[in-house]
Amino acid sequence: MKEGFLIEQERLEHEAAASLKSSGLINDIIRYFRKKSIFVLAYGTGCGAIEMPPTFTSRYDAERFGIRGAATPRQADVIVVSGYLSFKTLRRIIHTYEQMASPKYVIALGSCTINGGMYWDSYNTIKQLDKYIPVDMYANGCMPRPEALLEAFIALQKKIENDEEPSGWERYLENIEWYRQNQRAVLGEDIKPAYEADWYTEGR
Amino acid sequence: MTILTIMGQGMAVLLFAYVAGMLYYGLYRNITARFQKRIGPPVLQTFYDSMKLLFKDEATAFGWMFYLGPVIMATGSVLTLLLLPFLRVWHEGSLSVYGDLFVILYLMVMGPLGNALAVGVSGNPFGVMGVTRGLTRLMGLELPFYIAVIGVMSVAQSSDIWHIIAWQQIHGINMIHYPLLFIAALFSFVGFMGSSPFDVVAAPQEVYSGPRSEFSGKFLGLLMSQNAIFGFAKLLLMVDLFWGGADSIVELILKTFTLFLVTIVIGVVYGRFKVHQAVDFLVKFPTLLGVVGLLLL
Amino acid sequence: MNILASLQPQLCDKFETQAFDLKRDDLAQVIVEKKIWRAVMDYLKEEAGFVTLLTITCTDWIEEERFELNYIFAHETKRCDLMLSFSIARDGESVQTLTDRWPQAEVMERDLHEMFGIVFEGHPNLASFALENWHHTPPLRREFDTLAFVNEHFEFRKGREENVDVKAEAKRLRALKKAKAQAEAEAKKEKGADDADE
Ligand code: SF4
Repeated sequence: MKEGFLIEQERLEHEAAASLKSSGLINDIIRYFRKKSIFVLAYGTGCGAIEMPPTFTSRYDAERFGIRGAATPRQADVIVVSGYLSFKTLRRIIHTYEQMASPKYVIALGSCTINGGMYWDSYNTIKQLDKYIPVDMYANGCMPRPEALLEAFIALQKKIENDEEPSGWERYLENIEWYRQNQRAVLGEDIKPAYEADWYTEGR
Repeated sequence: MTILTIMGQGMAVLLFAYVAGMLYYGLYRNITARFQKRIGPPVLQTFYDSMKLLFKDEATAFGWMFYLGPVIMATGSVLTLLLLPFLRVWHEGSLSVYGDLFVILYLMVMGPLGNALAVGVSGNPFGVMGVTRGLTRLMGLELPFYIAVIGVMSVAQSSDIWHIIAWQQIHGINMIHYPLLFIAALFSFVGFMGSSPFDVVAAPQEVYSGPRSEFSGKFLGLLMSQNAIFGFAKLLLMVDLFWGGADSIVELILKTFTLFLVTIVIGVVYGRFKVHQAVDFLVKFPTLLGVVGLLLL
Repeated sequence: MNILASLQPQLCDKFETQAFDLKRDDLAQVIVEKKIWRAVMDYLKEEAGFVTLLTITCTDWIEEERFELNYIFAHETKRCDLMLSFSIARDGESVQTLTDRWPQAEVMERDLHEMFGIVFEGHPNLASFALENWHHTPPLRREFDTLAFVNEHFEFRKGREENVDVKAEAKRLRALKKAKAQAEAEAKKEKGADDADE
């Protein structure tokens, strides 16, 4: 039997050429640009933060795929959650994620984000990241090497190009109540009631 | 000369500057990568980035003044470009006969100032810090550049860039006649291009890309596009002032790209100055060179 | 002359120490009553030269219904550490803060308050430190059952295997590998024999 996250990963990676949400030349071009240029906000939460610098510097050179670091969440397309998340960090992650401009994606790095990893019996870390924010791609391993991270990026690019439905940020907006409920379960009541950018998107 | 020719020419110039600027900045990243033993992004990467940003949502709203910032910036750079002599043969029927050097110098500062207002509205501390750094650096940058410009103007006895170009047609280019002035201006120029030793404004590690830190989506895309245009305009200004302008497109590309290569190489080799170091350096060495150059006129 | 060894008679003369345990040449533990710990500590700081507070730790002796608080000091010039310990009741007993002597005690005491629920009197700010919004038992008390807490609050994805006997697993894998190698070798041999036949 396949392990749980593998099934999930398969679902994330499957070739869905038929499920193109919006076809047409303009959309194709837009998707092409999105795929070609990915700004990454590396949020160093756990051990995985140390794998990020080699990915972006001379040795592995992620820039050749158009992947480059962003300075602030406003400019970023992808947030890389690197490793275990304590409750305190989770709150910051949610805050950061909601500040990013859509379309936005999440890459979860390391087995800690998949199923608790080696912190499975810790009282202070969450076990499944995708209950709190929508994950678009996993890279498993403890710790995944930069090659694995690059592979995750390339799989994400494929996913963007195929425009599978629905991508993470859309799922988040649709099921915001469910996500909020899960977040409240671990973070306590004082979490923002509505999606951070609601007041902005309301008028449309 | 009708309004149509002016507009047509303006559009052509704008398009050319956009394409050239995008390619130059793409090459900038690629060449920098090669220096660092990387493969580097494709040449079109800057274009991809800006296009992607133009099709993105924004995540911020601080009122109209905030949104005006990038627009003012873009206006400044487009105007700068249009008021500069593009090709020598395009004297007739271009907007550039209306502007002179003073207007250009004013317009070059207008964009950043407008942006500063917008950043102030956003209230982001890093943005404000970036703007402060930018204004501090501007003091250092303008001193040697203005000295060089004064020298060039007094030689040609005119503040009209066409006259300066014409003077160079007769007597030979300014760079050879007045090398000290050229070097002084070159230092400032490297700073104006925002490349390495003087890139204190948008330092991503210290002030989180400074003035841009609150801009997202389309406005960031606009900022990137105007940056390409503005970069080309600055190159054009240097070519016009010191290298006698250009007769054909090929010559123009050759000249501007050579100049751009100089900034790339300087940027790759040197690390970033601190703010006060940058101002100190600019006020001392290039200014001194400029003053000596002025005295030797 | 070893400074810790020479400290022992002085300290035992002056105060009623319960024990002075010289663990190593450069490491000793002094156990005192709670009522005199400030005096001992002042003496250590002012006269004996233990000027640096390294850390404060807590040991939970749940069977004896007490917490043992350990203050670890380093000497000014010599290379040696001293641990000052005293016990408090597990519930309801508070301790005077040390922030008036060492400002760095602020964080350490906050941490202890969060992890063990010990109240420090006179501490400027006992707000939460690493945990936010924690309403459960302080997690480092021994009656706190981590596993039960985890099982109650989280669910795991299917397919997770816990408590696999690593040794047995390794043995099984080794046996598998061996069998495979053997089969391969045999196949090779047969093939070799076939070749020879031809
Ligand atoms: S998966 Fe492993 S390396 Fe990654 S954060 Fe968890 S324990 Fe650390």
